[in-house]
Amino acid sequence: MAEVAVRNVIKKYGHLQVIHGVNIEIADGEFVVLVGPSGCGKSTLLRMIAGLESISGGEVLIGGRVVNDVLPKDRDIAMVFQNYALYPHKTVAENMGFPLKLKGRPKEEIAAKVRKAAEILALEKLLDRYPKQLSGGQRQRVAMGRAIVRDPQVFLFDEPLSNLDAKLRVTMRVEIKELHQRLKTTTVYVTHDQIEAMTMADKIVVMRDGHVEQIGAPLELYDRPANVFVAGFIGSPAMNFVRGRIEARDGGAAFVSDHGTVLPVPAGTAPRAEPVAYGIRPEHIDVRDGGISATISVLEPTGSETQIFAHLGGDAINAAVRERISARPGETVPLLIDPARVHLFDDKSGARI
Amino acid sequence: MMRQSSPLLHVLLWVLLSLATLFPIYWLFVISVKPAVDLFTTPSLILDTFYWKNYVNVVGNATLRGYMYNSLIISTSNAALVTMLAFLSCYALSRYDLAGKENIFFWTITNRMAPAAVFLLPFFLLFTQVFVIGEWRLYDSKVGMVLLYCTFNLPFAIWTLRPTMDGIPRELDEAATVDGATTWQVIHEVVLPLARPGLAVTFILTWVFAWNEFLLAATLTSFNARTITTGLSEYVTTTGTEWGTMASIAVITLIPALIIFSMVQRHIVAGLTFGAVKE
Repeated sequence: MAEVAVRNVIKKYGHLQVIHGVNIEIADGEFVVLVGPSGCGKSTLLRMIAGLESISGGEVLIGGRVVNDVLPKDRDIAMVFQNYALYPHKTVAENMGFPLKLKGRPKEEIAAKVRKAAEILALEKLLDRYPKQLSGGQRQRVAMGRAIVRDPQVFLFDEPLSNLDAKLRVTMRVEIKELHQRLKTTTVYVTHDQIEAMTMADKIVVMRDGHVEQIGAPLELYDRPANVFVAGFIGSPAMNFVRGRIEARDGGAAFVSDHGTVLPVPAGTAPRAEPVAYGIRPEHIDVRDGGISATISVLEPTGSETQIFAHLGGDAINAAVRERISARPGETVPLLIDPARVHLFDDKSGARI
Repeated sequence: MMRQSSPLLHVLLWVLLSLATLFPIYWLFVISVKPAVDLFTTPSLILDTFYWKNYVNVVGNATLRGYMYNSLIISTSNAALVTMLAFLSCYALSRYDLAGKENIFFWTITNRMAPAAVFLLPFFLLFTQVFVIGEWRLYDSKVGMVLLYCTFNLPFAIWTLRPTMDGIPRELDEAATVDGATTWQVIHEVVLPLARPGLAVTFILTWVFAWNEFLLAATLTSFNARTITTGLSEYVTTTGTEWGTMASIAVITLIPALIIFSMVQRHIVAGLTFGAVKE
């Protein structure tokens, strides 16, 4: 096991720069998730850590050693690919034992390690099968098995669950987390799915357009997003944003949207001349007497909660409540916003106020 | 709705097509086992006599055995060399970002755009005047023929093999690299086994070209490297044509091709459909 450090890392393809001086410190045994929309550079960064992409500037360190010019095979890492990348002509056992075979380990040792990994991943009965005879979930487990037999310093996962159906994704998510808790190997995991990031990570790195937007523990990102992008990306359903200004009201301050809707702000908020983005998560809005009257446009009951898409004057807002709502679209409901859960961002820069 | 045609009709059609394909071979065999006299006095397609002397004559003829040996050596060496070079070229074209690689790929095939006869004279001059070391000349040498067929077969082989190579996902190379493989190990352990169907098709097509080639072999060999196809033409003389002997040589010539085809048939079927269906 080892710590990983990414320092001022840059990636250029000719004149096109896709990673702009990224810094990430990953502690020994930590599970770090790189998350962001497609094209944000997260996979490129992971491939740079793996050694599959050259590093145009900055340094990548694994276990305190600069690995910029070290071949992937000498970095002591294991990688699980999105499409599993199993060798179709090799059996499950041969796939899992391949890294050890390349190291020239004795056959008995390879067989023992493969058997042990197969036990951990419940693959014992599939060892003689070929990848094409396996289901998606089984293939993913074999890919993980191939990674763990090597007992590497770092595990790298490149969107490993993207090709699985929703139900299997949840199962595999738990399995990967269990595996990490058991092996405690430093892990860097790439996904575009913020739920995966939130549920699996010790630390999340949110990326956009080759920049790191915020690094922190999942709940830290949820509770105190650094900017509008992180606030909108983390959390499902996504945070509501309303544009407007903070004005002095009744001895304190209140948010007044561009459409004139007045919304509560956290205690101690000072009025501001510059426009702000007012953010409130749908789950932090209640349907309760004393709330602001909103007109329902669409209701989405899911059993455990109900999503209400409504209009507050000219502003669209989405609320997720535990109660079952008897009102119908076109009718009004009182929406109560908890001021302590409100996030305020500078409208121009997007930064948290 | 389309009417389903009866399976009987299908079978009948396939039988007829197979017979049409096999008929010339059957005819050849009938000629090869008849004495010359029977061929012209009572021409018949019925296999009523077995005159094995034609075969005895061919097998007993040391010159013809030499031609057959030359053909086997030249075709097999050529096919092996071309397949190996095409494999490495396609690996480079498929995996490395070479400047102008699509142009390189396209222009390799240009020497197949003209009839082989166009190149006869330059080749003849090269083989007899340029590639000469003391007494030794490329002309009438097996090495010369192998290299000659390479110039014609390699571009074709590269074109045949490229889709196979492109069809092998790059992630497998990367996975092997991360697993600890060197470039050579990636090629040997991952790419080569997966390219096997394509390699089999390339090998057999290249082998058949070299085995059947007549024009260049007739011009650029005289005795030492003479192949069996050119040997056949020696039985057309000013005093007549020895049909029986020619037919028996032709039948014997078919045998190695049949053996090679049967050995790699499974791969050929896989190779010809490679990439047609998403796995």
